[in-house]
This record gives sequence, C-alpha cells and structure tokens, in this order.
Amino acid sequence: MAQKDGGRGRPGAPNSMMLRRTLFLLSVCGVAAFAVLAARLYYLQIVRHDELEARAIAQQVRETTVSAPRGTIYDRNGAVLAMSAGVDTVYLSPAEIAREGEDAGAIARGLADILGLEYEDVYEKTQNTGSWYEVVARRIEPELAAEVREFKEEGGWSGIKIEADTKRYYPNGSLAAHVIGFTGTDNTGLGGIEAKYDAYLSGSDGAILRSTTAEGTEMLFTSWEDYLDAVPGCDVELTIDAGIQYYIEKHLRQAVADYDIRNGAAAICMEVDTGAILAMASLGSFDLNDYQAVSEADRAVIDAAPESERAELLAAAQQRQWRNKAVSDTYEPGSTFKIITLAMALEEGLVSEDSDFYCSGSVTVPGRSTPVRCWKAGGHGSQDLTAAVQHSCNAAFVSIGRLIGEERFYDYAEAFGFFERTGDSSAQLTGTTGIDLGGESGSIWWSEDVFCNSENLSQLAAASFGQTFNITPIQLITAVSACVNGGELMRPYLVQSITSPTGESEQRGGTALRRVISEETSAKVRAILEQVVGDPDEGTGRNAAVAGYRIGGKTGTSTKTTQEIAGTKEYIVSFIGFAPADDPEIALLVLLDDPGDSGVYVSGGQMAAPVVGKMMADILPYLGYEPEYSETQLGVIDRTVPDVTGLDTAAARSKLAEAGFGCRVLGRGGTVTQQLPAAGSSIAAGSEALLYAGEAAPETAVVPSLAGLSYDAAMEALAAAGLFIASGNTAAADGAQIVSAQSLAPGTAAAAGSVVTVTLYDNDEELLGIY
Amino acid sequence: MQYAATKLGRSVVRERENTRLGKIDLPFAALTLLLLTVGVVMVLSASYARAYYSDATGHNAAYYFLRQLGFAAAGTVIMFALSRLPMGFYRRMSFPALAASLVLLALVPLIGVAEGDARRWIDLGFTTFQPSETAKAAIILYFSALICRRGASMGTLRGLLPFIGVLALVIVLLVLEPHFSAAVIIIAIGGAMLFLGGARLYWFIGVGAAAIAALGAVMLFFPYASGRISTWLDPFANPGGDGYQIVQSLYSIGSGGLFGLGLGRGRQTYMYLPEEHNDFIFAVCCEELGFAGACAILLGFAALIVRGYWLALHMRDRFSFLVTAGITTLLAIQVILNAAVVTNLVPCTGISLPFFSYGGTALLIQLAEMGIVLSASRGIPSWRL
Repeated sequence: MAQKDGGRGRPGAPNSMMLRRTLFLLSVCGVAAFAVLAARLYYLQIVRHDELEARAIAQQVRETTVSAPRGTIYDRNGAVLAMSAGVDTVYLSPAEIAREGEDAGAIARGLADILGLEYEDVYEKTQNTGSWYEVVARRIEPELAAEVREFKEEGGWSGIKIEADTKRYYPNGSLAAHVIGFTGTDNTGLGGIEAKYDAYLSGSDGAILRSTTAEGTEMLFTSWEDYLDAVPGCDVELTIDAGIQYYIEKHLRQAVADYDIRNGAAAICMEVDTGAILAMASLGSFDLNDYQAVSEADRAVIDAAPESERAELLAAAQQRQWRNKAVSDTYEPGSTFKIITLAMALEEGLVSEDSDFYCSGSVTVPGRSTPVRCWKAGGHGSQDLTAAVQHSCNAAFVSIGRLIGEERFYDYAEAFGFFERTGDSSAQLTGTTGIDLGGESGSIWWSEDVFCNSENLSQLAAASFGQTFNITPIQLITAVSACVNGGELMRPYLVQSITSPTGESEQRGGTALRRVISEETSAKVRAILEQVVGDPDEGTGRNAAVAGYRIGGKTGTSTKTTQEIAGTKEYIVSFIGFAPADDPEIALLVLLDDPGDSGVYVSGGQMAAPVVGKMMADILPYLGYEPEYSETQLGVIDRTVPDVTGLDTAAARSKLAEAGFGCRVLGRGGTVTQQLPAAGSSIAAGSEALLYAGEAAPETAVVPSLAGLSYDAAMEALAAAGLFIASGNTAAADGAQIVSAQSLAPGTAAAAGSVVTVTLYDNDEELLGIY
Repeated sequence: MQYAATKLGRSVVRERENTRLGKIDLPFAALTLLLLTVGVVMVLSASYARAYYSDATGHNAAYYFLRQLGFAAAGTVIMFALSRLPMGFYRRMSFPALAASLVLLALVPLIGVAEGDARRWIDLGFTTFQPSETAKAAIILYFSALICRRGASMGTLRGLLPFIGVLALVIVLLVLEPHFSAAVIIIAIGGAMLFLGGARLYWFIGVGAAAIAALGAVMLFFPYASGRISTWLDPFANPGGDGYQIVQSLYSIGSGGLFGLGLGRGRQTYMYLPEEHNDFIFAVCCEELGFAGACAILLGFAALIVRGYWLALHMRDRFSFLVTAGITTLLAIQVILNAAVVTNLVPCTGISLPFFSYGGTALLIQLAEMGIVLSASRGIPSWRL
C-alpha cells in the first residue's frame, strides 16, 4: 500500500504537513501571543501604573472633610465682631437605608418633625438610594442636634448621619455689616473683611481619608485611614471701634429717618494720623446673621409685585443693601472739596489769611459761555480768606483755582490720591485709595488734555468748588485727613493685626504714602476750618458745633450733574469734620443721599452738620476728651441729674441747684419720695426738676411736637407736659437754633419724666444757603 | 507485515501498546496541577470580600473558595481516571459525545436557566452546567476521529462538508442562546482542527476574509456590537456605564505595579471589579501579584501549551496527535482571549480563564480534557521525550 502520508514513514502517524502546522500553532499560541500579552501587561502595570493606581485610589478612598474653625474678627479693643461656633449638619445615607432595609418613611417623618421640614422633601431624599450623602439640614443648633441624635439612637437608624460643622455668628447683628461682611453656606467669605481676608480667616480644612468598599463600608483586611489635621484660620483685629461704630450708626440711622433720606447714607470715621478706619457705616444695612433678608419696606414692595418679578426684585434689593456706599459709590463732593483747594493755595503761598476776595454773585471763566454763579445771588461782597471759606463762596474759590492754575491743580489733585496718571494724557483717569476692603470704586477724573487746557478753564473752575468730577467718600476723607494731620497722605486701612493660631502676630497699616502739604499749611487749614464750625455768626458749619469741644469742618451740598442734565434735581448733602481742631485725632464724614421733604432746608450745613455734631458729642467723651465749657455754654449743656429721693426738700433743692438745675416741689411732705427725671438722666442745664413729696407722680405724658420751636420754647413745651429736653451738647449759647427733629415722636405717650433729645440747627438761610 | 493489511488491526495493536507500556507525561501533569493550585488560591483571594458581604453566601468569606476546592479535587481525580482510559475508547466515544452535546445544546433554549437576555446554563441541582463547554471537547474528539477516517480527502470541498455541517449546527444552537463568545471559540477550535487535519490554506484565507466581512456587517447593523467596539476603543468615555467593567479591570491591573499589592491585599476586589473571581480573576492576579506574578502565571500557561504541542508532535498515531494538539489549542485560545479581554486588547466578552475562573463544571471539563491529553501521552515511548 502506498504511503501518501509521508514524513516519518509510519502508517497512521501524523504527516509532515501536520507537524509543520503544529509547529506554527505552537509558535503563535504558545509564544507570540504570550509575548504580546506580556508587553501589554508591561504597558498597563509599569508604564501606566501611577496613573491607573491614582484613579483606582481615588475611587477607593472616601474623604470626609473636617472644616477648619474660621478665625475670629475683633474690633480694636478686642470685642468680638464675628466668630465661629460648632454646630451640626444632619444628612442621610439613602444607600445605607436601602441596604439595611430601614423604614424610610419613619426616618423622614421623625426628621421632618424635629427639624421643622416638609415630610415629602425629606422622604424624597431617602429615595435617592444611589447616594451616600443627602443633606437634610445644615448648621442646626446643638439642642436640635441632640434631639436628632436621640431619635437616631432610639430607632437604631444607621442611615441618619450627623457631622460636625461650624457656623458664623455676628454678635452685634447689623453693626459694621458692610465692613465685616458675611460668609456663604460653604463658610467662605462673601463680602467685606470676610471676603478680603478669607485666605487668612478660613484656614485649611482637614480630612479623614478612609479606604472603603464599592458599597461605602470598611474594607476587611486592607482598610486604611489617614488624617489631615485642620489648620484653624487666623484671627483678624480691625481698626474699627465698636463703640464709635455704634454711635455713628445710631445717629446716621436717626438722620435717615428724620430727613427722609431716599438713596442711602454713609459715614466714615478715620484716625487722621494713621488712616485707620475707626468706623464705617452704610445705610440701608442688614443683619449679618440673616444677610439674605431685606428690609420690611423692600419686602413689602417685593410681595406686592407679580410672582415672576419677585426673584429679580429680591436680588436687586439684596445687592442694594450689601453695597458699601462709603467705598463703592462715587459722588461729586461739592464744597467739602474746597478744603483741598484751600490747602493747595496755602501750600503754594498764593493766598494768605489777609487775602481779599470780592464776590459779586458771579464770576466769568475763560471757555465758559455763562459766568459761574455763586450760590448767593447778591454776592458775598468783600471777604478775607477765612470768611470766603466760612461762606463757602464759589466765586472766591473760582478765583483761588485760577491762582493755582490748571497744571498745578492737576498735580495736587493727583498727589491727594484722587486719580493716577497713566501716561496717556488724553485718557479719562481714575484712582482708588487701596483700602483693604473689596468693592472699592475708582474715581472719575478729566484727562490731562481736557483739564489742562488754558483756553477752556471751566473744568478748573468747577473742580475748585468740588463739582463735575466723581470720587468716593473714602477718597475724600483720606485727602482731608492729610490736610489736617500735618500733611501726610495715609493709606486707609481696616485690619491692624492678624494673629495666627500659633500666636504669631503681624501688624498692618499705618502706611504713609507721601507728604502732600507742609505742617504749617496744615495748621493754617485747621485754623480756618475751625472758624467754619466755631464762628456762630459767619460759619456755614456752625450746626456741627459741640459745646466744650473744638471742632473744624466743612459743609457740602452737591447736585448730581447727570441728573441736572436729565432735568431732575437730587442732592447729596455732606459734612466733613475733625476734632480736636488744634490737634486732630479723628475726621468724620457724613453723607446723606437724596433727602426728601422733611421741612428742613436741604443743605449740608442744615442737615449733615448737626448729625456730625451729635456724633462728635458722643465720640469725643468716649475717646477720653474732657469738655472745656465757656461761661455761656455752661448754661445750655446737658447735665446729669443727681439722686435726691429720700432727702428733705431743702437739701434736695440745694443739691439740684449745685448740679445746675432748678426744681419744683409737689405735695406737702417734707421728704422727696419721687423725682422726675430719674437720677442719672442727662438733661439741659437750667431745667426744672419735679420733686414729689407725698404726692404721686403721673404715670405717662403725651409728647408734644417741637419742630420749628427754639430750644428754649421746646424746653418749656416739654416741661408743660412733664417731660425734659436734652440737646446732646449741640445747643448754641445764643439760642438762635430751632428744632428739626426729636427722639420721641410727637403725639406718642411716654413715661412721665422721659428725656426728649432734639436735633437743633441754625436755619439762617441767608448765611447757610445750599452750600 | 500481516497486520498491515487491515487498519483496524493496526490501531488495536497500538492501543494495546498504549496501555501496556505508557506512562503519563509528568511535566504536563505537574504544570496543570501547579496552575490549578494557584488558580484555587486566587479564587479565595479574589472572592472573599464579595462572599463576605453577600447574603447569598451567608457572609461566608470562604464560600466560593471551598466550592472551587471541592471541584478541583474532584476534577483532579477525574483527570487521572481519564488518563488511564485508552485512546481507542475516546475514539469510539467521539460520536456519542458530539451527539449528547448537541442534544444538550438543543435543550438549553428550552430548559436553560436564564441570566440576563441569555440562556446558557442547565441547572443540575447542586451546580449549573454549560453545554457549550462539553461541545468544545466533543468537537475536538469528533473532528479528530473524522480527520483520521477521511485522510487525503481533507484537501477537497467534499471532504470538508461534514465538518462544516457539524460546526454550523453547533453555532446555530449557540447563537440561539445566544452565546457569541462560545461560538467564536468553537469556530476557532474547529478551524484549528481542520488546519491541523490538512485543509487547504486558501480555505482559511477565504473564510477569514468572509469572517472579517461578516464581523463588519454585524458591527454596522447590530448596535449592541458597535457599542461594544466603541467601549473597547475608549472605555474611559463612560467609566460609570458601559465602560465600567473594563475600566475597573484596568484599574486593578494598573494598581499592581511590578510586584503587586500582595496576595489577599487587592482593593479592587471589594466590589469595585465585577466578575472578580470569574472572568476577571486575571485582573486580580495582576493587582495582587504585580507584573512579575502575572508574567509568571502566563509563563506557566505558555509552558503547559508548549508542552502540549510538544507531546502532540511526538504522538505516534494521528488520532492522539489531533486530540492533543486540539485540546492544547483550545486551552491556548481560552487563556489568550481571557487575558486579552481583561487587558482590553480585544472587546469585552465573557471568556473564563482555565483553572482560575470560578466555575465547577467548567473546571471539571477542563481537567477532563487534560486527562485525555495525559492518556494520549502514554503512547509516547519514554526515550522519545
């Protein structure tokens, strides 16, 4: 038989073709394929090891954040303005609820009851069974957390979780709200110092890293944990003095109510030698602990609006209340800026106290078709430099501006920090103070080409009395501080020190930017400005005077150029004061935007100056300054009523007389059983106290209307009702002032013997005008 | 030369010789047992977490391990028992084995246990069983016997027709389940048998081209298939969805590095990696034993496969040669495809790793196949090795 199957020659054995093909399969399936697989493993396990391992670990490790305690914000005296406290956040682990077969309905019902939530909302969260983390309530108070904990333990619910978190508290509510700022739900700063210094305050969160199974439980043998400690945030100490801040907000809020201020108000109190901000307030304000809530008035408007517009209205109202007017709004400063013009002219030796200025009521300016009119139609006539400032005479200041000249004026304005040159002489310029607070707006200044044009000096003329350029309140007070502190322009600041958790402290602020004017010029400016407030006959700022203290300052009433063009007319009335006038410690700017119809003449002198006066009357004693009264002032200042109850009537009478009060005895008894006003009350000297000897004092009294009365007439009207008057030491000895506002509303019932504090102002329109 | 007159007489003599003089091939048996041992240990390492956290196992961490250990022991007994049966027995049993497999395959759509959209299993009560596994062995035995009988006609189309008919029948039954990965393996092993049996090379070229065209058509017209292709090309495009399994596998493999996290210290086994003790057990090996360990395992398989072909090359009769080379090729295809799937060299499909993947009946059948090779190895005179 022929053996076709060649090869080994054995019949039935595999032939050579089969063996060749076997060898082929051996080399492919036994060698080549494995070489490819080994290469692939090398690529995955060695080349891509780090990347794939990192991805694997990322899914295997669960991270629980441990939030770092946020730093505390203190005022300059160590009072707490913002602090964090431990609270709890309640969340659900729906995946565990599903896995352990727990009763989602019961869990939702229980949590909804304890936390005051809607059952449906909580139940919905329990149904998201793919999730391990569904927040039910953030940052609840410890008592509620204890209830939740108890509920969790009673039911043995493993799906309810409680984790430690922190909550921000602002002990003073709305005090210095715009300065302090607030934090959002994730504990990051959203405004003010909280945002600006967030990097310092926030610290860095810690974490617990734990390897878990895909189901979120602990790994059996390979479990691994790591802790990253949370680093607490730094404490921040502000230059703010909570006491001064309180006084400023109190009086500013009162002014907004008294004068029907429609577009907000701002006040800044600065330490003139350092640039430290002692107080800064903007109204309308808000409560830091509930920063989303808007004022009742805004709320009413929003609720009245159609549903679709409410969200937008709410957002607008919130943006408005969060806006820090003191640094974020620009305005035309008006006559307060004359301080700067005055300082320039004195520094350059262009004017002296003896210079004579004649005001005919208007003055022509090259480049202007119409002459610049002084606010006083008939003109101020002949006046020396002090009188020109006292009168706030526009014509005189246009002349002073001409003396300085456009180029020098421009250089000085830049030196005072109102703008910065960019090298482009045709560009409109801007500038900021660089205060350590977010949201500072830049000023708006003419380009050099426009301003320094000798053919057209209308810009120079307007600038000389503070119109048609825009600056921020913080820029003005910084520049004025330089004018009165001896000539150094300081950078304003709010944070004076930062203390790390380890106790290391870093001091900040007090940066002198440059010398703008000399010591001597500064002294002259102070002397002239003191006459604006201190001269009861000629000073437009006399309403800011406080008995016993030397105060300097300048009024300002500015129109808004843009609105003037539009045909409407709104005013910003302002006053900037400083004290003590001979060696100032503080400067104080008050700005009221768009006063309404309050019956008080709309001007800085009539509206803003009394507010500054009342603030100064509180702040200066607070800072430890002893008042020095003149003979005549002693008769009108407020004095403290001594305790005379229990004394016989004669002794009581002499004790009251010693304190500067008269008295009237009611009843026939020999001993004083009751006195009005109560001991410790502060009322106008010369008031007649009521002593009850046997007779019972009345319970209540109805407050009379005092508006428009003189101080003496108001005192009599109150005495007739069984009430007493106080002026906060702003009453002038000449008695020329009249009442513009009172602390207790007319027609209301008050406890008998209550003290009504009145706002007084000198209403000599002929002199005070609108500037 | 009087025996030479009849074919039957010759084979009977040879089969007698087998039982009389042969010893099993020790290296092949040793490599099999070594891989089996490592495989069973890896089942424990890969499955304890899933078993511990599962209600189905009664939170018994060793549940899968103990079952696998039992099947491994039984399989080893079966392997040595089958190695004692003569090759003539297998040759006689080849057609009944194929017939039984076809019946079982035909029964699967009727009485099979459904898992997802597919029915691939028959429930035997104490365990489940995949008829496709026996079909693979039956095809090898039947094709080997048929090739021996056909001899020279393998080179003609007529000669190939019975093979193609059987293959077509099996594949139709598998597609009905559907069980594409088994169909692919059956086609591969059937093709390998014809290749060894002497079919013309241009047949393979033609069929290969047709297969590629068919594959292209399937991809175009079956969204299920084209989705698999896009997942294969970029598994990280959808790591939480379609790409999840392969992405987790790559994480496991990549986490291993050079020397691995250590036996039992894998992290992906904590329910991250699906099928961690079945089809993707090789990924766990890579994570825990590292590149070095994974290569050692591949080297073990390569050695076993090379040894299998080496034995085939030394077989003295054609049937033993074809069966040995066929079973070795089946083993190689399964190992290579499994490792390629796990490392994302080919699109993801369900192919188990012999001796490693958890699964009782599959392990029994794999060890039985090794027993048949060992039986064949007895026909080789010891001086030839």
